[in-house]
Amino acid sequence: MALRERENRNRKRRGGKKLQRSFYIRMLKVFGVLLVLLVLANFIKRDQEFSDEENRMLTQRPKLTWESLMNGDYMTDYESYVSDQFVARNQWITLKLYQDMLLGKKESNGVYLGKDGYLIEKPDEPDWESIERNTAQIAALAERYPDIPTYTCFVPNAYNILSNRLPAQAPVRDQEEDLGRIRGMLGSSVRDISVDDALREHADEEIYYRTDHHWTSLGAYYAFGTVAEAMGIQNVETDYNIHTVASDFQGTLASKSGYHGSEDLVQIYEAANLEPEYVVTYVESNEKSTSIYKSECLNEKDKYTVFFGGNHARVDIATTQPERRNLLVFKDSYANCFMQFLLPYYQNIIMVDARYFYDNVDSLIQNYAITDILFLYNVNTFVTDNSLADVLAVEGNGGESPAEEGAAEEGAVEEGAAEDDAAEDGAAAEG
Amino acid sequence: MIFSSVFFIFVFLPITLLLYFVMPKPGKNLVLLICSLIFYAWGEPVYIVLMVFSIVYNYISGIEIDYHRRERNSGRMRFVFWLTVGVNLAILMFFKYYGFLMENINHILPIDIPYKELALPVGISFYTFQTLSYIIDVYKDNVKVQKNLINFGTYITMFPQLIAGPIVRYADIETQLDRRKITPSGFGNGIAWFLRGLGKKVLLANNIGMAYDAIAALPDGQMSVLSAWVGCIAYAFQIYFDFSGYSDMAIGLGKMFGFEFMKNFDYPYISKSITEFWRRWHISLGTWFREYVYIPLGGNRGGTLKAIRNIFIVWFLTGFWHGAAWNFIFWGLYYGVLLLLEKYVLNRVLEKLPSAVKHIYTMLFVLIGWVLFFSPGMGDALSYIGAMFGIGANGFADAAGIYYLYNYALLFVIAAICSVPFTYRLFSRTVFGGRRGKGHTAVAMGVYVAIFVLSLAYLVNATYNPFLYFRF
Repeated sequence: MALRERENRNRKRRGGKKLQRSFYIRMLKVFGVLLVLLVLANFIKRDQEFSDEENRMLTQRPKLTWESLMNGDYMTDYESYVSDQFVARNQWITLKLYQDMLLGKKESNGVYLGKDGYLIEKPDEPDWESIERNTAQIAALAERYPDIPTYTCFVPNAYNILSNRLPAQAPVRDQEEDLGRIRGMLGSSVRDISVDDALREHADEEIYYRTDHHWTSLGAYYAFGTVAEAMGIQNVETDYNIHTVASDFQGTLASKSGYHGSEDLVQIYEAANLEPEYVVTYVESNEKSTSIYKSECLNEKDKYTVFFGGNHARVDIATTQPERRNLLVFKDSYANCFMQFLLPYYQNIIMVDARYFYDNVDSLIQNYAITDILFLYNVNTFVTDNSLADVLAVEGNGGESPAEEGAAEEGAVEEGAAEDDAAEDGAAAEG
Repeated sequence: MIFSSVFFIFVFLPITLLLYFVMPKPGKNLVLLICSLIFYAWGEPVYIVLMVFSIVYNYISGIEIDYHRRERNSGRMRFVFWLTVGVNLAILMFFKYYGFLMENINHILPIDIPYKELALPVGISFYTFQTLSYIIDVYKDNVKVQKNLINFGTYITMFPQLIAGPIVRYADIETQLDRRKITPSGFGNGIAWFLRGLGKKVLLANNIGMAYDAIAALPDGQMSVLSAWVGCIAYAFQIYFDFSGYSDMAIGLGKMFGFEFMKNFDYPYISKSITEFWRRWHISLGTWFREYVYIPLGGNRGGTLKAIRNIFIVWFLTGFWHGAAWNFIFWGLYYGVLLLLEKYVLNRVLEKLPSAVKHIYTMLFVLIGWVLFFSPGMGDALSYIGAMFGIGANGFADAAGIYYLYNYALLFVIAAICSVPFTYRLFSRTVFGGRRGKGHTAVAMGVYVAIFVLSLAYLVNATYNPFLYFRF
């Protein structure tokens, strides 16, 4: 009995060994073929320069130089070149995302995969030192011009207003607390306009894009009601013609997270009764236009740039509005879709983006006989901004810090601003 | 260059394999040597000089030691031996510990000596230990001297184990350097090892490591008891799957070139005592210290006091080997104390305890050990351990803790399943052990292809792929 059992077991083991051997030989064949196929596919595939999906430049084959070889740059670049140009890269990225979702992950690359297809940006840690400098300079400006009312409007972000669409228990900052602290720093010379409630009331509507870090025109519209009242705007338009100019918008958060499951509408609001004529001047490029919308941007990846074609150091809008009210706006990209609402009520609007602006603010205020000043930022950008204070500082006692380094970037803003900003927004996903 | 990268798998490895198999037998080691040097230079172009010096110097020393032995000049032999050991250790000291040493001298003395900390040559701790194993074994006449410079260079630089182990002792592959058999099934087996390692590293370690990173980045005072445990357990899984994944990939690559390396990890998290844990964790390092430090010091043969001294020396060095920082030294000594306690006090108590209790006891101390290991300083380590037990913690469970727990719950379960031997045994039995020798090989092949494809998706994306051993 025992003998036969042992014989049996031996035979089985021998069978197992044989099976193992044939399995591993097959393994060699399968993976040999797989590897050769992939290597060949990569060899044949043409290199791509730009990834629409990821909204960034892909690494190109690096040039071999003695220097780059010795400091290791060549190797690092070559490695990212190989993975950036890998065959069917976009499909691999999608597969990775499905794996993440299957594993139950609720975030990807700093973006929460929220409920109802909402992608919500994880907030940055506020840079309180910069905030203090910025608010101090805002207050100083308001005190310098006591006759010009100075307003601030900090637009809360999706993670705050749409908190019920975040993944359950997602640990985010208390933005209201941050806002309270910021407002406390401003002092009494500045009039702060809180649009928090106006937005929160409509949190169930499409006030933020699902796939982009901006608010929608609808969100801006609700905020405008509060802003108009606070700024004493008379005869506010009650009727708008709403045009849906794109219905397949996938914004920066889609690029950043790699999640392409939702699409957004881009809408523009046209005042139905007040129809002022106006000219938009992009000061850096000296380009003029009769529309604040750039329809050609709708063919691009970042369709939010339909508003002004993205961010510019300075944009002037001169209207036929008879009353002499001139508005200076310090802004980030949230303001771009807000301007369509402000437009009819001012003779001149000067939009300044402090991140790219290096001129003198005081002469601007005097030359254009500014009657109102508005700081319009979304909180996420404001709490990380380190350029505003330097722009606002009186010549001679400011400007000693960071902004100067940025000077070189200025040139890049002028030409093809839309593309640059798209790329920048994609990388930093702010403003 | 790391194994878990698109560049390695689709550029370096195919070219190396092609050259290696096209080359007739006598040239194979040369191909391996040259490719290994390129592999090393890829990340450390400057330190290649150091590497070449190390090879040539130790090669000559080995021959010299052997020569003096044959001349029966034991004084000379001893001199050359100690000089060589000294030079190797001095190089290691200089590149790895110089900055640490100066920092502490400046700290203790009222002076401030300016110094420039050097970039650590990757893998220096691993290859220095490999050369030492050769020199010591030649000195003790355990192995024959290697007269072939190419073979010797191949041993030191062999890229599969160059940067993250296992630490291969010369004695173990002495014969393989000259004669080794490469069979298609052996090669296929190597692929299987490599893929398992790749999956461990890319699918498990990298993913679960993100939980640790997120929790470690919580601001001060924002750590709840739950977060602290989730973070610590995540790190334990990350380092195990990362390190053992590298070892598996190294073993697999070795097999592709016909080498057999020793197993480096043997399911350490199923251990029922700290002693057992260290028999299962980083086996090649433990073996090295036992063979070349503990036993030459006398082991446990010189009485209890000497044994205690020897254990402390070994564990001080083990800790220090992992990085030039105090927390690594404490981490090593911590294990020294635990092992001594088990050896002399706890062994009788432990014997009587049920398995589950022994297992919990072991994992508790291993987890605390990892806190010492991953913390940037001792103060941080203590406050983290405090948070685990509610001291200075932000409550028992807060939103962050719950969020990360349920976010990574599935991964934790998968990681736990993959940490026990049962899983692979079951897989193996289903594949090969079916009735009448008919297994489910098609399913197994599917599993391996899936591991490859799923890992590749992460590699192409290349968002998060850390190399944890830059301080070793």
